Amino acid sequence: MKLGNVIGNVWAERKVKQLHGCRLLVVQPIQSSGRPCGSPLVVADPGRLAGIGDTVVIVTSTDAAQAFDSGVAPVNAAVVELVDIIQ
Amino acid sequence: MFLAKIKKRVVSTRKHPAYNGKHVFVVQPVNPDLKAVGNEWVAVDYVGASIGDIVVCGGAPGVAQQVFQLDYAPIRTLIMAIVDKIDFRDFQ
Repeated sequence: MKLGNVIGNVWAERKVKQLHGCRLLVVQPIQSSGRPCGSPLVVADPGRLAGIGDTVVIVTSTDAAQAFDSGVAPVNAAVVELVDIIQ
Repeated sequence: MFLAKIKKRVVSTRKHPAYNGKHVFVVQPVNPDLKAVGNEWVAVDYVGASIGDIVVCGGAPGVAQQVFQLDYAPIRTLIMAIVDKIDFRDFQ
Protein backbone atom coordinates (compact mmCIF):
# COMPACT_ATOMS: atom_id res chain seq x y z
CA MET A 1 0.00 0.00 0.00
CA LYS A 2 1.03 3.58 -0.51
CA LEU A 3 0.26 7.05 0.79
CA GLY A 4 -1.36 9.50 -1.62
CA ASN A 5 -2.90 12.95 -1.99
CA VAL A 6 -6.30 13.19 -3.67
CA ILE A 7 -5.85 15.83 -6.39
CA GLY A 8 -8.96 15.32 -8.50
CA ASN A 9 -12.12 13.45 -9.49
CA VAL A 10 -12.95 11.47 -12.61
CA TRP A 11 -16.54 11.59 -13.86
CA ALA A 12 -17.63 8.88 -16.31
CA GLU A 13 -21.18 8.21 -17.42
CA ARG A 14 -20.48 4.98 -19.24
CA LYS A 15 -18.38 2.49 -17.30
CA VAL A 16 -18.38 -1.14 -16.25
CA LYS A 17 -21.29 -2.26 -14.06
CA GLN A 18 -19.22 -2.75 -10.89
CA LEU A 19 -18.05 0.87 -10.95
CA HIS A 20 -21.52 2.39 -11.01
CA GLY A 21 -22.07 4.46 -7.87
CA CYS A 22 -18.36 4.31 -7.09
CA ARG A 23 -16.28 7.48 -7.02
CA LEU A 24 -13.09 7.60 -9.07
CA LEU A 25 -10.40 9.84 -7.59
CA VAL A 26 -7.14 11.08 -9.07
CA VAL A 27 -4.43 10.34 -6.47
CA GLN A 28 -0.79 11.47 -6.49
CA PRO A 29 1.35 8.85 -4.65
CA ILE A 30 3.53 10.56 -2.03
CA GLN A 31 6.15 9.74 0.57
CA SER A 32 5.40 10.48 4.23
CA SER A 33 7.48 13.66 3.85
CA GLY A 34 4.99 14.83 1.22
CA ARG A 35 7.38 14.35 -1.70
CA PRO A 36 5.50 13.04 -4.77
CA CYS A 37 6.74 9.67 -6.05
CA GLY A 38 5.35 8.24 -9.26
CA SER A 39 2.64 9.49 -11.59
CA PRO A 40 -0.96 10.18 -10.53
CA LEU A 41 -3.30 7.19 -10.55
CA VAL A 42 -7.06 6.79 -10.92
CA VAL A 43 -8.19 5.13 -7.69
CA ALA A 44 -11.63 3.73 -6.88
CA ASP A 45 -13.22 4.93 -3.62
CA PRO A 46 -16.06 2.47 -2.93
CA GLY A 47 -16.17 3.41 0.75
CA ARG A 48 -16.64 7.11 -0.10
CA LEU A 49 -13.79 7.88 2.29
CA ALA A 50 -12.00 10.79 0.68
CA GLY A 51 -12.31 13.99 -1.31
CA ILE A 52 -9.97 16.42 -3.02
CA GLY A 53 -7.12 17.52 -0.76
CA ASP A 54 -7.25 14.52 1.58
CA THR A 55 -4.30 12.27 2.37
CA VAL A 56 -5.23 8.64 1.93
CA VAL A 57 -3.80 5.13 2.01
CA ILE A 58 -4.38 3.28 -1.26
CA VAL A 59 -3.91 -0.40 -1.97
CA THR A 60 -2.49 -1.04 -5.44
CA SER A 61 -2.80 -4.71 -6.28
CA THR A 62 -5.44 -7.30 -6.98
CA ASP A 63 -6.41 -6.92 -3.33
CA ALA A 64 -7.99 -3.59 -4.31
CA ALA A 65 -11.00 -5.51 -5.60
CA GLN A 66 -11.68 -6.62 -2.02
CA ALA A 67 -12.33 -3.02 -0.97
CA PHE A 68 -15.67 -3.42 -2.73
CA ASP A 69 -18.63 -4.92 -0.86
CA SER A 70 -19.01 -7.55 -3.58
CA GLY A 71 -15.30 -8.30 -3.40
CA VAL A 72 -15.28 -8.38 -7.19
CA ALA A 73 -14.31 -5.37 -9.34
CA PRO A 74 -12.03 -4.76 -12.29
CA VAL A 75 -9.73 -2.47 -10.31
CA ASN A 76 -6.21 -2.64 -9.01
CA ALA A 77 -6.20 0.58 -6.92
CA ALA A 78 -8.62 1.48 -4.15
CA VAL A 79 -8.75 3.91 -1.21
CA VAL A 80 -8.71 2.01 2.10
CA GLU A 81 -7.95 4.67 4.69
CA LEU A 82 -8.48 8.40 5.17
CA VAL A 83 -5.34 9.51 7.05
CA ASP A 84 -5.79 11.73 10.15
CA ILE A 85 -2.15 12.03 11.28
CA ILE A 86 1.18 10.46 10.39
CA GLN A 87 3.36 10.51 13.50
CA MET B 1 9.54 -10.02 0.83
CA PHE B 2 11.83 -7.19 1.82
CA LEU B 3 13.65 -5.80 4.83
CA ALA B 4 12.35 -2.46 6.06
CA LYS B 5 12.66 0.00 8.91
CA ILE B 6 9.46 1.31 10.49
CA LYS B 7 9.47 5.09 10.23
CA LYS B 8 6.06 6.44 11.25
CA ARG B 9 2.58 5.34 12.22
CA VAL B 10 -0.52 6.14 10.16
CA VAL B 11 -3.48 7.14 12.35
CA SER B 12 -6.89 6.99 10.70
CA THR B 13 -10.48 6.83 11.94
CA ARG B 14 -12.34 6.51 8.62
CA LYS B 15 -11.21 3.33 6.93
CA HIS B 16 -12.20 0.00 5.43
CA PRO B 17 -13.45 -2.38 8.21
CA ALA B 18 -10.58 -4.82 7.55
CA TYR B 19 -8.22 -2.19 8.99
CA ASN B 20 -10.10 -1.83 12.29
CA GLY B 21 -7.94 -2.57 15.31
CA LYS B 22 -4.74 -2.91 13.27
CA HIS B 23 -1.62 -0.78 13.40
CA VAL B 24 -0.60 0.71 10.07
CA PHE B 25 2.98 1.88 9.61
CA VAL B 26 5.06 3.76 7.05
CA VAL B 27 8.07 1.51 6.32
CA GLN B 28 11.27 2.40 4.49
CA PRO B 29 12.83 -0.58 2.63
CA VAL B 30 16.48 -1.11 3.58
CA ASN B 31 19.44 -3.19 2.44
CA PRO B 32 20.95 -5.78 4.79
CA ASP B 33 23.39 -3.07 5.82
CA LEU B 34 20.32 -1.08 6.93
CA LYS B 35 20.77 1.66 4.35
CA ALA B 36 17.53 3.03 2.89
CA VAL B 37 16.76 1.99 -0.66
CA GLY B 38 13.71 2.90 -2.78
CA ASN B 39 10.41 4.49 -1.81
CA GLU B 40 8.42 4.04 1.38
CA TRP B 41 5.48 1.65 1.63
CA VAL B 42 2.54 1.42 3.98
CA ALA B 43 2.22 -1.90 5.81
CA VAL B 44 -0.23 -3.47 8.27
CA ASP B 45 1.36 -4.80 11.44
CA TYR B 46 0.64 -8.36 12.52
CA VAL B 47 3.43 -9.01 15.03
CA GLY B 48 3.30 -6.06 17.42
CA ALA B 49 6.18 -4.11 15.90
CA SER B 50 6.87 -0.47 16.77
CA ILE B 51 8.59 2.56 15.31
CA GLY B 52 12.31 2.04 14.73
CA ASP B 53 12.15 -1.75 14.40
CA ILE B 54 13.73 -3.57 11.47
CA VAL B 55 11.08 -5.88 10.05
CA VAL B 56 10.35 -8.27 7.23
CA CYS B 57 7.47 -7.05 5.02
CA GLY B 58 5.71 -8.41 2.00
CA GLY B 59 2.72 -10.47 0.98
CA ALA B 60 1.04 -12.05 -1.97
CA PRO B 61 -2.44 -11.09 -3.16
CA GLY B 62 -5.13 -12.54 -0.92
CA VAL B 63 -2.67 -13.51 1.82
CA ALA B 64 -4.10 -10.94 4.24
CA GLN B 65 -7.50 -12.55 3.82
CA GLN B 66 -6.16 -15.87 5.07
CA VAL B 67 -3.85 -14.44 7.71
CA PHE B 68 -6.52 -12.23 9.27
CA GLN B 69 -9.38 -14.64 8.43
CA LEU B 70 -11.49 -11.83 6.99
CA ASP B 71 -14.18 -11.97 4.32
CA TYR B 72 -12.64 -9.09 2.47
CA ALA B 73 -9.14 -7.75 3.18
CA PRO B 74 -7.86 -5.04 0.84
CA ILE B 75 -4.44 -5.33 2.44
CA ARG B 76 -1.31 -6.15 0.48
CA THR B 77 1.85 -5.37 2.47
CA LEU B 78 2.06 -7.18 5.81
CA ILE B 79 4.68 -6.86 8.56
CA MET B 80 5.53 -10.50 9.17
CA ALA B 81 8.58 -10.55 11.43
CA ILE B 82 10.69 -8.36 13.69
CA VAL B 83 14.35 -8.90 12.84
CA ASP B 84 16.77 -9.61 15.69
CA LYS B 85 19.95 -10.17 13.70
CA ILE B 86 21.09 -10.26 10.06
CA ASP B 87 24.20 -12.15 8.93
CA PHE B 88 25.16 -11.31 5.35
CA ARG B 89 28.06 -11.31 2.92
CA ASP B 90 28.81 -8.19 0.86
CA PHE B 91 26.41 -7.54 -1.99
CA GLN B 92 26.25 -5.28 -5.03
